[in-house]
Amino acid sequence: MILLRGLLGTALLCAVFSSHANESTVTIAFAAEATQVDPTRTTAGVDAYFMDLFFERLLATDPQLERINWLAEDWEIHPVGKGVRIDVKIREGVRFHNGDLLSAHDFRFAYERQKDPTSGVSSRIRYVTDVVVHDDHHLSMHLSQPDGAIIVQNLDIWAMPKRYFETVGEEGFQKHPVGTGPWKFVSRKPRDELVVERFEEYWNPDAAPGFERLIIKIIPEDTTRVAAFKTGAVDWMDAVPPAQVAAFEALPNTRVASLQAPNNLFLNLNAIDSGSPFRDQRVRLAVAHAVDYDAIIKYILFGQGVRTAQLAPGSIGFDPELKPHPYDPDKARELLVEAGYPAGITINCYNLTTPREPYIKEVGETIYAYLAEVGIRCRIVQMEYGAWINLGRFSTRPWMDGLQSTMWGQGLPGDPTDAWGGHLHTNGQGWGTYSYHSDPELDVMIEQLRRLIDDEPRAALIRQIAHLKHQRAAGGIPTYRPVLAFAWRDSIDFKPWPGAFWRSMRQIGPCPTRTCPIHKTGGTP
Amino acid sequence: MGAYIFTRCWQGMIAIIGAVLIVFIAQRLAGDPLALLLPMDATEADFAAMRAELGLDKPIWIQFANFIGSVAVGDFGYSYQWQTPAMDLILDRLPATLELALAGLVFAILLAVPLGVLSALHQDSWIDRVAKIFAMLGQAVPNFWIGLLLILFFAVSLQWFPAYGRGTVGHLVLPAIALGWYPVAAMTRTLRSAMLDILQSDYIRMARAIGLSERAIIWKYALRNGAVPLATMIGVYFANMLGGAFVVEVVFAWPGVGRTVVEAVFARDFPVVQAGVVLSAVVFVVVNLMVDLSYGLIDPRIRRER
Repeated sequence: MILLRGLLGTALLCAVFSSHANESTVTIAFAAEATQVDPTRTTAGVDAYFMDLFFERLLATDPQLERINWLAEDWEIHPVGKGVRIDVKIREGVRFHNGDLLSAHDFRFAYERQKDPTSGVSSRIRYVTDVVVHDDHHLSMHLSQPDGAIIVQNLDIWAMPKRYFETVGEEGFQKHPVGTGPWKFVSRKPRDELVVERFEEYWNPDAAPGFERLIIKIIPEDTTRVAAFKTGAVDWMDAVPPAQVAAFEALPNTRVASLQAPNNLFLNLNAIDSGSPFRDQRVRLAVAHAVDYDAIIKYILFGQGVRTAQLAPGSIGFDPELKPHPYDPDKARELLVEAGYPAGITINCYNLTTPREPYIKEVGETIYAYLAEVGIRCRIVQMEYGAWINLGRFSTRPWMDGLQSTMWGQGLPGDPTDAWGGHLHTNGQGWGTYSYHSDPELDVMIEQLRRLIDDEPRAALIRQIAHLKHQRAAGGIPTYRPVLAFAWRDSIDFKPWPGAFWRSMRQIGPCPTRTCPIHKTGGTP
Repeated sequence: MGAYIFTRCWQGMIAIIGAVLIVFIAQRLAGDPLALLLPMDATEADFAAMRAELGLDKPIWIQFANFIGSVAVGDFGYSYQWQTPAMDLILDRLPATLELALAGLVFAILLAVPLGVLSALHQDSWIDRVAKIFAMLGQAVPNFWIGLLLILFFAVSLQWFPAYGRGTVGHLVLPAIALGWYPVAAMTRTLRSAMLDILQSDYIRMARAIGLSERAIIWKYALRNGAVPLATMIGVYFANMLGGAFVVEVVFAWPGVGRTVVEAVFARDFPVVQAGVVLSAVVFVVVNLMVDLSYGLIDPRIRRER
């Protein structure tokens, strides 16, 4: 064993000095791969990994999680009856990778594709009734009601090259995507690699990559990805396994950044079935007090998690005064007795086994063990992702009849409008698709939140809902927000942008001095 | 011989149709793909539109009839996830899987044949015992673990071979060992047992009596007869490697069919799973047919019987 460690140590030291990054090309490793590159057809978060290289929206979120104008040079909101009109001036001189100039017609085209009910993502622009083109650089988005979520989503319409798409068709576009983004498509071998080149005519040189060529390798297995980095086969990698973050930080000539993930993890409780003990607020609060999440973060996640009360730091409306329910098993037991369950309860607990987040299965099992300690006994049902997500959806049968460890993305920056609309608002009429809770007062507030556009009143209302949700343990019990770790060689200067969940390769370039800092971002926990 | 091939082809067709039927039903029983294809805030209207788009709103027997009609002309439809023809996805990855399975098989044969022969020649000696232990290791240790150890030693530590990916012959070495070590034990045992029987048979005694060299007796006469049961195993294991390389493909980030199909199963990507399973069934049937035919080449008596 000592010999093995010695051999490994020597090899690793040699490897980290043999960086392959040069002035022109960098090879990086992703743990997962996008399947879709058409932004009007994408549904999974992982699709953003590639999409973010090629495509852009009217607005963007900068590394400090601030909203900034992007392909929109300017925009204004005007009330029109019960709805609103958003007038947008499109930036001039922006080109697609094939040389075509960007115009308002390209956004109209993308809107039509996304609005198609079979796109899978039409719900994201559900209140947009039309996009009217005035000239090549002016358009208006008409909304049937004010929609705060679409503002948070950077006006959620993408620059799609209408002329190119109509020439090559859907299949041709999938094979060779063309956008306005900082990288140009070169080639792709699914499940293997994506090769892209810097777009030399990119409109924003201040936010352009430094390398000429980027090769993205797809390496799903943790050990193999780590080996690829340590042997010098790749120079940047995502998803450093939590157990190895400390070891990576100790490697010479290596930079490591730990950044907040956009996923909000929580325990969903069935609080609507007539016989469910979770209809009683005291039982829900017992669940909240029964689990020591700090210990879970420390010992299972190796510190790669941020405890959350309702929202994570950096999220819109985050209130530092709102603290998570403390771990207090005695209080949990008392609450159960008060609720009329002195002998405890036995429920079905549904656990996700697919490693969508690091160690998610083990975290779930530990939570259920903590619950058993206070008298909430779990019949654990282990589920792979497909079965698990079907179970969580309210309209599917059989439905979730107990407790489910689950998650809902809140984006970067974190905005809970969609998430609360989905798992806190009562199910029905487009709301509460994964909700097993019903609270009319909170329903009204969530609907009001969706209609609020200005940041300040939105943040105030979010704080108000968060406090009520916390007191009532409504719409699930928040647990922690995962932290993502990325590693790269010091020969690289990498500035993480929040696109693609910090995997945006927008500002990645050589660092000849090998002294480039780890840039602080709004995602630093 | 022609009638025999025709019968085997006909039986193979039945096996393929059976595989098609099973995979179609099993996929539908596994659950609804729509929750995986749509975002969490998708409305019921979005679900209905997507269901209709994919033809999943039709009764299952109509879905099956449409499916069979399409499969008959080689059309498995578009992948739900990738939005590209499902069979193209599989065929693009088939060369990588064939390459890996062949390399694994070559490794297994290169190891099993000498080990089996040596074990038989030196029955119950230390050579026999070492050969057994070495062969058993491949069967006792899961191939993902072997793969990880190979990466740590030969890629990270010694830096002799790449840790992952496909491209050069060097990329092939470690995954081929991880995949090919498993059948070595069974092949070695089979060959050893066959060789022991053969080496005690009358015609080998006769060969020795007439003064043929030991080398000629073993490699020309004994091994050729001992290879018949080995050929059966080779066929079965090759087919298993084609379908079961998933774990090794993941460990070595090898862009093969197994990884694609298993990921499609989890994503409920019906067209890709169906295309992958049907193609695997065809390959399995063809490989077994070739093995059957190879008996005649190895042993002329079998050829005459047919």
